[in-house]
Amino acid sequence: MKRRDFLSAAAMATLARGATDFAPKAKRVIYLFQSGAPSQLETFDYKPGLNRMRGVELPDSVRQGQRLTGMTASQTSFPLVPSQFAFRQRGQSGAWVSDLLPHIAKVADRLCFVKSLHTEAINHDPAVTFFQTGFQLAGRPSIGSWISYGLGSENQDLPAFVVMISQGTGNIADQPLYDRLWGSGFLPTKYQGVKFRSQGDPVLFLKNPEGVTAATRRGYLDDLAKLNTFKLNESGDPEVATRIAQYEMAFRMQTSVPELTDLSKEPEQVFARYGPESRTPGTYAANCLLARRLAERGVRFIQLFHRGWDQHNHLPAQIVNQCRDVDQPTAGLIEDLAERGLLEDTLVVWGGEFGRTVYCQGKMTADDYGRDHHPRCFTVFLAGGGVKPGLSFGETDDFSYNIVKDPVHVHDLHATILHQLGVDHTKLTFKFQGRHFRLTDVHGNVVRSILA
Amino acid sequence: MRFVFLLAGVVSLAAQPIEFNRDIRPILSDRCWTCHGSDAASKGIKLRLDQPEPVAAARQTIAERIVTTNKAKRMPPLHTGASLSTAEVALLNRWVEAGAPWQKHWAYLPPQRTAGQTIDSLVRARLVKAGLSPAPAAPPETLLRRASLDLTGLPPLPGEYDGMSYEQAVDRMLATARYAERMTAKWLDAARYADSNGYQTDGERQMWRWRDWVLNSFRTNKPFDQFVIEQMAGDLLPNATLDQRIATGFQRNHRGNGEGGIVAEEYLAEYAADRVETMSTVFLGSTIGCARCHNHKYDPFTQKEFYQLFAFFHNIGERGRYFKFGNTPPFLHAPTEPQQAKLAELAAALAAAEARLRPGAAKGPFSWKPTLDLTTPEKYTPHYTARFTIAARFTPPAATANIVSKALPEAESAGLRFNLKDGRLQVNLVMRWLDDALRVETERTLTPGQNYHVAFTYDGSKLAAGIKVYIDGQPEKLRVIVDELNQDFLVKEPFTLNSPEVKIFARALPALDVAFLAGTAAGPEAARRQFLETTDAKAWSEVVRLRRERDAFLDSVPTVMVMQETGKPLDAHVLIRGAYDRPGEKVAPGVPAILMGKPITNRLELARWLVSRENPLTARVTVNRFWQSLFGVGLVKTAEDFGAQGEWPANPELLDWLAVEFMDSGWDVKHLLKTILLSQTYRQSSRVTPELLARDPENRLLARGPRLRLDAGAVRDQALYLSGLLVERVGGPSVKPYQPAGLWKELSGGADYVPDSGEALYRRSIYTFWKRTAPPPTMANFDAAGRETCTVRESRTNTPLQALNLMNDVTFLEASRRLAEKIMTNPAGVAYGFRLVTGRAATGDELTVLLSALERHRATYEKDESAARNLLAHGDARRNTALPVADLAAHTLVASLLLNLDEGITKE
Repeated sequence: MKRRDFLSAAAMATLARGATDFAPKAKRVIYLFQSGAPSQLETFDYKPGLNRMRGVELPDSVRQGQRLTGMTASQTSFPLVPSQFAFRQRGQSGAWVSDLLPHIAKVADRLCFVKSLHTEAINHDPAVTFFQTGFQLAGRPSIGSWISYGLGSENQDLPAFVVMISQGTGNIADQPLYDRLWGSGFLPTKYQGVKFRSQGDPVLFLKNPEGVTAATRRGYLDDLAKLNTFKLNESGDPEVATRIAQYEMAFRMQTSVPELTDLSKEPEQVFARYGPESRTPGTYAANCLLARRLAERGVRFIQLFHRGWDQHNHLPAQIVNQCRDVDQPTAGLIEDLAERGLLEDTLVVWGGEFGRTVYCQGKMTADDYGRDHHPRCFTVFLAGGGVKPGLSFGETDDFSYNIVKDPVHVHDLHATILHQLGVDHTKLTFKFQGRHFRLTDVHGNVVRSILA
Repeated sequence: MRFVFLLAGVVSLAAQPIEFNRDIRPILSDRCWTCHGSDAASKGIKLRLDQPEPVAAARQTIAERIVTTNKAKRMPPLHTGASLSTAEVALLNRWVEAGAPWQKHWAYLPPQRTAGQTIDSLVRARLVKAGLSPAPAAPPETLLRRASLDLTGLPPLPGEYDGMSYEQAVDRMLATARYAERMTAKWLDAARYADSNGYQTDGERQMWRWRDWVLNSFRTNKPFDQFVIEQMAGDLLPNATLDQRIATGFQRNHRGNGEGGIVAEEYLAEYAADRVETMSTVFLGSTIGCARCHNHKYDPFTQKEFYQLFAFFHNIGERGRYFKFGNTPPFLHAPTEPQQAKLAELAAALAAAEARLRPGAAKGPFSWKPTLDLTTPEKYTPHYTARFTIAARFTPPAATANIVSKALPEAESAGLRFNLKDGRLQVNLVMRWLDDALRVETERTLTPGQNYHVAFTYDGSKLAAGIKVYIDGQPEKLRVIVDELNQDFLVKEPFTLNSPEVKIFARALPALDVAFLAGTAAGPEAARRQFLETTDAKAWSEVVRLRRERDAFLDSVPTVMVMQETGKPLDAHVLIRGAYDRPGEKVAPGVPAILMGKPITNRLELARWLVSRENPLTARVTVNRFWQSLFGVGLVKTAEDFGAQGEWPANPELLDWLAVEFMDSGWDVKHLLKTILLSQTYRQSSRVTPELLARDPENRLLARGPRLRLDAGAVRDQALYLSGLLVERVGGPSVKPYQPAGLWKELSGGADYVPDSGEALYRRSIYTFWKRTAPPPTMANFDAAGRETCTVRESRTNTPLQALNLMNDVTFLEASRRLAEKIMTNPAGVAYGFRLVTGRAATGDELTVLLSALERHRATYEKDESAARNLLAHGDARRNTALPVADLAAHTLVASLLLNLDEGITKE
């Protein structure tokens, strides 16, 4: 019997698939999504040869007739532009990290850089949707909801899939996000990501209204449970029992979520580690700290979205701010997880939806340039969760335009994330419209070379 | 074993003869056809197991390969992850031994029924086979509430149907506008209706006039076949009415991408594919979309056939890149009835005014008033959606020169430029050069040193086609260089004028007016104008005034995106692997062979075929969806898939009976619903015993009535209605009820949601503004479809977020307060409230709990009156200040308790 098909029957529909296929290396994931697409050229993919080729036309032999976005396709010139920021080799592993990311550079030996990620989409909406769901068009479940469906929750008082959003200081009028990015697609909506917010209630409608105390609410819920129990006995419908249980979980969330989001008891050195912004609710830094607290509480899939990485123009000015937003908090999170022994079974992923072009978009001056979307190669890094630390995997050509060694497709990354969680990506399926759908569609190979 | 077979096991006894479609096809489809199906050739596999002849020939091999212990030979192969259970192997063996008899897939055979059957006789027959008997009838008040929620989306009020038989009550419900709203709510999900474009910035669009059309169709009980034809091809009907053209908005409800940098061809293919997939899902219950990249793995649809359907839908001349904000052509002005009346009134007044002009002078497109709408560069700011004209006398100093501009200083930067480039007159409207810009230029060149009158007019359409350029009053032939304007080209820079005589008009002047400006007007038209201006000025200015009034009014009329053939059909090609940039074989429009023999060449014929007797699917798929809306699960559970991978119908005879009844009645939706509602099957009690629950958890055998949580819209609508807050006004633009602050802004950083005030807060949920990338949170919490793509399957979950939503959201707090006021002003008090919400009298036990809760809360709030005031402050609706504060607060919590009862949000 295929258990999950059986479980999809309504009688059991409230249960997740709830089992691994083999022993997991990671129990949870913290996915630090960099929305807008960070430039690999200014961060991790060091291309010293470009310094000598500044302003030279992108050779046709490199472009190979591949498509460009409608924003630059009709540009008459495609001048190469090198990074304005210096690179250095870091730590024992000698990974190249630019000076824009000094804190991340310090933890380089804990990281596994995949420099050969590639995707199929060339614009933000389809590309982010592809990363989140394995498909460019809306309608499929997000990776977090697949995992929530596949593995269920380890914490009865918190959702299995939590999302947090922060605004970047790079390109402040940057690409929007969409609720469907953490939606459950054709999976039941109970698997969708729950957004933790910095404005108003941390979870929508969480707080009792003004005029209702916790004690009053407790009495109210006891009355409700009594009335619903009469109904359960009379109707025989197990949905009533589920409803009673869900109201109880709602009540527990009213305690557990504020306790979780209350950072007042965190010691000074923790804020120092995550950086000054970690005291400001809603920042990437504060969300990183919350991510650690969620990980401690067994939340399965924690996803941060940081906006502002879309540097079509004024890249040098913008990316300084953007990198500052994430540098210390990301490094702080990794160190904090490591110190608490959580990194070994928490898989951390950092990356955007595609890379950026080596050629300049728009006007190129001595200290200003821009870069367009580039799906053919970009860098993502991973840490913890059974991934080899101190590794740089995959290579791009001298222009960071094409991959020359060990390409890793988005589907491969998905397969690898699931694998680390103990899930065979070919077996995590849900039947819809007559098809056994998977996060990886009919593709994906686990990237075994990066596994410890 | 899969669930399908568990069910089959329930209903068919082991000794029952094998029926291919029920017992064997699902196994072959699910485990074998991925490789041995219609797409086998692409994998280099010769053996086809989806056709009777090769299967018959390979019987021996099949029998061996599914039982062999040789892992390398065993089918299905290990690496596929598919496997056969012992029971399935046994079934396949029995079937092979019996000679592998074959049947055409049930859904492609026409529905048939034998005379003398009814819904109840067919359900009973199935129950008898399963050794079950029907449940007793539900109590009358339960049944009335069930029917009212199903037909109107709102519960009955106490006494509302007193003195009426059940049938009379059903008739009355069917006659209400609420019924139309209820049916429309379901159709909006299927039709992926939304008020925003759905990609990236997710700007607003205007499709509510199509929603009005749907409301009106259900209200007037438009026969469903007509309902289909008009939505699929209303524009192609002879003498198509405005309403019939609005109906085709159905096919423009899909998302439209306005993101800068997209490849237009890619999205043109998406839109046409979405139309095919929506039609396939909602009318054919078929997953034809699977054949977009390769032949369908399970069903008899080839990739070529997908593109033959595609060919019906890609000839409307739309742009691949939709406008970020507003409707994208083709769209129509779609005045409402009052607006139509007003337009008729204006037209009549205009005709009368024109008749008052001197004889012989009344015809022609003239509107000249030399100073009308004349403005100055200091006062005027052009926008991309505004009409305007810029004219100048100009002597070019060189072949390249600026004439009039309002733009940033750098070349090709944002703003408006009317300039000369290499001798050609150019109009540039630029937000971002290249991908968000518009540039046209004249073919003719100007000679430096010579004096010209130059002008251009713009009609606010965001399109190059909306620009006309004149030299010395003569319209010029234009080249379109860039036609990608998508956002306003607004800049703060002042106008730069390189001409002593620049005139700016806040309207697009007609050609003759430009000729007058240039001083080159000639001919009879010009003469007549001169005559009017000089000798009939008073009557003439009245005509001008009325024309302006009419035009201004027309600008306020809503538009709706529609289907509109270009008249020049584009070639359609198979797209290899579904990729927009890899066209393959050229194809003609057509319907898949399995469904249709004769050729069909246009969308109207396609629409008519959809609802013809030749098509075995539409009626079945439609009645199944109505059944699902009443019982929670369709007779075919996979409402979106009647193919080989879909579920075998729980009661095939009943499905066919309903389909035939529906067609025979003239596709009469009200008749269909009434027939089902009057059946004993529908009227059964929904109580369930543990034994029956274990045996048939989803109620597929129908040995009881449905018990289901209300859908998202009904949960909110009911609370508004019972508390007296609901504002019942049918149709109109979407509204913005309460929503927690920041939900839009945190996603996009742009403008946040601004709730409406007053009555707009209390309309039914089908009118709530639907932004696709940030749907209304209560709707999302209670499992509403996302409106990204066509959704026909209903889904219900039970989550803590729903509990929080019902307890703490201002919508439900305000409703609780108003309900509390009703309770307090009714002599029966809390008992009355209970009856309102549940439709029945409370038991003694229930009343005891409620009354003691009331006492406890009253004591709390009497001690803390400020807490009471705080609780009563939620929501804009005014509080009945005659009621004591603590008492009202206590009643508010009790009313909230009622609205949170499982029974309150459940149809029993």
